[in-house]
Amino acid sequence: MTIEVRGLRKSFRAHEVLKGVDLDIAPGEVVGLIGPNGAGKTTLMSCLLGFLHPDAGTITIDGRANDHLDVRRRTGFVPERMNFGRAETGRAFLRYMARLAGVPRGEVNQRTNAMLERLGIAAAADKRLSQYSRGMLQRIGMCQALIHEPWFLFLDEPTSGLDPNGVLLVRDLIAEQKARGTAVLLNSHQLAEIEKVCDRVLFLSSGVIAHRETLRHTDRIVVAITLLADTFDAANVERIAGVAPQGHVVIVSVEHESDIATLVKSLVESGAGVIDVRRHTADLESIFRGAA
Amino acid sequence: MSGVVIAETVRRHLTNGMFVSFAIVIALIAIGVSQYGQPGSAWPGFAVLLAVVTGAGVIGPEFSSGTLQLILVKPINRAVYLLSRVAGVVLLVWSVSAIAALCEIAGRALDGEVPWSLIGTALVNSMGDTLLVCALLALFGTFTRAYFNVALYFALQLTLALLVGLARRKFTPAIAQAVVAVEQNLFPDTPPRFDAEWLLLVASNAAIALVLASFIFRRREVPYGAE
Repeated sequence: MTIEVRGLRKSFRAHEVLKGVDLDIAPGEVVGLIGPNGAGKTTLMSCLLGFLHPDAGTITIDGRANDHLDVRRRTGFVPERMNFGRAETGRAFLRYMARLAGVPRGEVNQRTNAMLERLGIAAAADKRLSQYSRGMLQRIGMCQALIHEPWFLFLDEPTSGLDPNGVLLVRDLIAEQKARGTAVLLNSHQLAEIEKVCDRVLFLSSGVIAHRETLRHTDRIVVAITLLADTFDAANVERIAGVAPQGHVVIVSVEHESDIATLVKSLVESGAGVIDVRRHTADLESIFRGAA
Repeated sequence: MSGVVIAETVRRHLTNGMFVSFAIVIALIAIGVSQYGQPGSAWPGFAVLLAVVTGAGVIGPEFSSGTLQLILVKPINRAVYLLSRVAGVVLLVWSVSAIAALCEIAGRALDGEVPWSLIGTALVNSMGDTLLVCALLALFGTFTRAYFNVALYFALQLTLALLVGLARRKFTPAIAQAVVAVEQNLFPDTPPRFDAEWLLLVASNAAIALVLASFIFRRREVPYGAE
């Protein structure tokens, strides 16, 4: 159930937009795609979804071509802007999407109602899409992408136009999809959002993956422990934590959450003042500035 | 063919005020013809116009609006989707033609004799005409955006008509004959009575247009976003 891309190239006339992209997304992994405008993010997403035909390279999803109907049956996609027959009601639109996605006829109503309820737009279900706000359209976009319980989820700026409640809801939905083993590719300009939900991030620049960063390890936890100045001896801290502090901060990797408590206890017992302990993620803003 | 797509196409048109109004107007014209016109006249022309209006919405506008991107990630073959959309539109237009024919029959039945043969011929010919119109609009929609398929349809008809006129006046009889043959094969004139050969020609033209449309649509790139 992995998404595998090898040597992907795509040109529009003389302009080569993708210049040999390789990427893998494992089941239950959320991968963020960032990069400046014109880097080729949308082109990459379009190739993955089969909207564009690559000039070279391969895309396999679950070992099959990305346009295989079995793959499509398990694929969900949220476009940045939802465009559909605006004269349709939200419910009619969702029912159609569910039927097209292969949801059994007997389950369509139940799943439609459940998704509308989950995304908080049940009250507007029978209104026309033309009466929906941008945020409501984004929510119904999420509904149509998730209604058939996909294994591969492609999200293009899913929080664009959403209010803070909507952003939190999308974050929860992504976490739920991750928990059920869905491979998620998230294209977003919102670095803070990427930091919060992604396991890995790919920085696309000038048609190549210029930088790959692991934000969350599946097999270990990285924590940053900030120590109070003048309360610790660097050599002593290195002996306890296994790594030397960088200034006042010790960035250390542990296997279990209980190891964090043990480590903090040892540091405090050595006389070091611990003033902050938090999970450590890469600073995407710095990466973006450095690689752009 | 996808029953889901056909049913959705039909449902969407039947809940569209413009479509329903157009259908009612055609039925009223048929009733008027039953009282004052030649049997099977006027309403078939409006049925063709309805086919142009409804067939115009196949693929081209969906491409431009971004609707297609949502459809194409679903487990449906592109050719199946295209053919199902055309089938839905053709079914609708044929239904309106059948209702118009029934209205004319009912109107004439009130006054006495019903010219079954003439009305039946008008209905069958109207079905042939509208099938060809929808197939050509679908074909043009597979390589154009928005409603350029309609523009292309009328431009092609106009160009061929101009070429025929020009060929008759300026070229040798052999060339003129060839140009007329091309025009008559692509857009054959509707015969006044039942003509199996004409029906076969129209059906084969529509079939070729749909095969070409399926082939082109399968290969067409459907980009989205700014790039």
